[in-house]
Amino acid sequence: MYKQAYTRVLPILVPAAFALACLTVMYPSLIRAVPLDELQTFKTSFLGILLEALPFVLVGALLSSLLHLFVSENTLRRFMPKHPVPGILFACVLGLIFPVCECGMIPLIRRMIQKGMPVYIAVVFILSGPILNPVVFGATYMAFRLYPEMVYARMGLAFVVSASIGLIIYLTWKDNPLKHAFAAGVDAEGEPHSPTHGGSKLAAVFVHAADEVFEMGKYLLIGCILTAGIQSFVAHEQLASIGGGQVSSYLFMMGFAFLLSLCSTSDAFVASAFLTTFSGGSLLAFLVFGPMLDFKNLLMLLSVFRTKFVLLLSFLICTVVFTGAALVGTLWLHP
Amino acid sequence: MNHPRIIRRHYLARSLILLGFALFIAHLVRSGALHYYIGPRMEPLIRFCPIPLAVMAVCLAYQALFQRSAVLCDCERPLSVSRWRNGTVYGLFLLPLLLGTLLPDQALGSSAAAKKGMSLTSPLLAAERLEEVFRAPDPYNSEFAELAKRLYPQTIVEVKPEIFSETIGAMELFAEEFRGKRVKLSGFVYQEPSSQGKANELILGRFLVLCCTADSAPFGLVVTSDQPLVGITQDTWLEVEGTIEPQTRQGQAILTVKAERIREITRPNTPYVYPSEDSVKAWNNLSGVED
Repeated sequence: MYKQAYTRVLPILVPAAFALACLTVMYPSLIRAVPLDELQTFKTSFLGILLEALPFVLVGALLSSLLHLFVSENTLRRFMPKHPVPGILFACVLGLIFPVCECGMIPLIRRMIQKGMPVYIAVVFILSGPILNPVVFGATYMAFRLYPEMVYARMGLAFVVSASIGLIIYLTWKDNPLKHAFAAGVDAEGEPHSPTHGGSKLAAVFVHAADEVFEMGKYLLIGCILTAGIQSFVAHEQLASIGGGQVSSYLFMMGFAFLLSLCSTSDAFVASAFLTTFSGGSLLAFLVFGPMLDFKNLLMLLSVFRTKFVLLLSFLICTVVFTGAALVGTLWLHP
Repeated sequence: MNHPRIIRRHYLARSLILLGFALFIAHLVRSGALHYYIGPRMEPLIRFCPIPLAVMAVCLAYQALFQRSAVLCDCERPLSVSRWRNGTVYGLFLLPLLLGTLLPDQALGSSAAAKKGMSLTSPLLAAERLEEVFRAPDPYNSEFAELAKRLYPQTIVEVKPEIFSETIGAMELFAEEFRGKRVKLSGFVYQEPSSQGKANELILGRFLVLCCTADSAPFGLVVTSDQPLVGITQDTWLEVEGTIEPQTRQGQAILTVKAERIREITRPNTPYVYPSEDSVKAWNNLSGVED
């Protein structure tokens, strides 16, 4: 009967939480007396990242759920360009219409692949969507007020990187990249079977969306915990002392973007804080690499795609962004 | 596939968690504590979150309590059977709720500033790019120049929290012109771990927040004083009045304030500062000047 284990935990957890909550309310001085500086910083950053991602996760889950229940495969297929080149261009522009950040993107993409969207188009959308959209453009422009080349370099490089990775995927990957459970999850007839769930279609939308939230949420939470942990327990200077040389500054900024897992709408401000210590090219690598691949994002990708596919994709992102940023950095942005 | 009774329990647990999140966010909104975690431009989005969360919770609870067993299935997304897995997953979701309710809401302070690295210049202004900018002025640069024009005639330049980073940026841009001007500003006390010994110097800092506290950038001005600053501890909030003195430290041009009057104040309701869309307009509004 170990299946019901969680029900055995709940009766303990709930009263324990209640008792703790009562204690804090009754003895607020008890909490304040403990040296909680770093824990407080952790809590503030953790809830900050989580609350910031939440609206996008909800929108992503609801859109994906609506797509699942109301849009048939054929409708979607009719809108998709058949030829790969217009297909890739189309996917790059999709970000302009759906300004969702990467947290909301992945449930939506999974559903679209199940509905028959070609993998390379999905990949292009995952990579370009979080950067090529008006919100991110505005935020980057604001952060680099005195350095507007950076904005255009970021947008341009993101476009080139995602289009070329999409093309490579188109030429090399032919299988279904989804994890087995999800690939088999859709009915073979493509007939959505969930409307029987509860009778009301509207209720089914929300039940499905809740499933998505819990599916994605655990990866998002782990990502948030690690990111907030790094931000509150590791000093930036310690991190910055690692990367000094030409090549290592690129690698460092990319690794830094990976670890920080900031949302693409806000990472520009963090990058601009490094303007005095790092070259323009390595900041560009930070700005393009971070939204495409970071800790939080990687966990979410692993929850949907096969490990082999995620490894290939990560490898491609690392190499293409590194080469692109180094080229733009030396040719256009003065170090 | 799991037994319907088990699915019901999962749905009920999830419903409670979602309801918890909805109530927690509603509580943050109502108590005005939301600004501790996210910037004002994100706030409208978060405000609406409790609605879909609560609707999801109600739908799940309905499924769990009243749905016929025949239609309950988890074939699409199989629920895990491992007790540790389920315990960990639901524990993860409870963690933010527990942290949020157990620890008091508190703004970021010197501990976070030490980790993030305190900047001594406005993050909106990268000093080393100035020469290029003067040759090819861009719209933002003229915004700072416009702001500086309005600040300069004031007898005391008050660094208002609404346009904090812009005001400091404008003064940095025209550092020599502002030398010796009287300024008034407030912030929290930050002392570098290395300079703790210097009794007549401290940094008066603020956190600049764009979207959420995770992307915040701490920055501040060095405040110097003739008398030793005894009894002032980290994270105290001060209002300082003094004169501007541009200096070069470690090869970086910064502004310092030579303090003439230091007053301890209570922490303001909005401790962070945010970038302003149009600082000149904001300044006009704040000082009651017609456009």
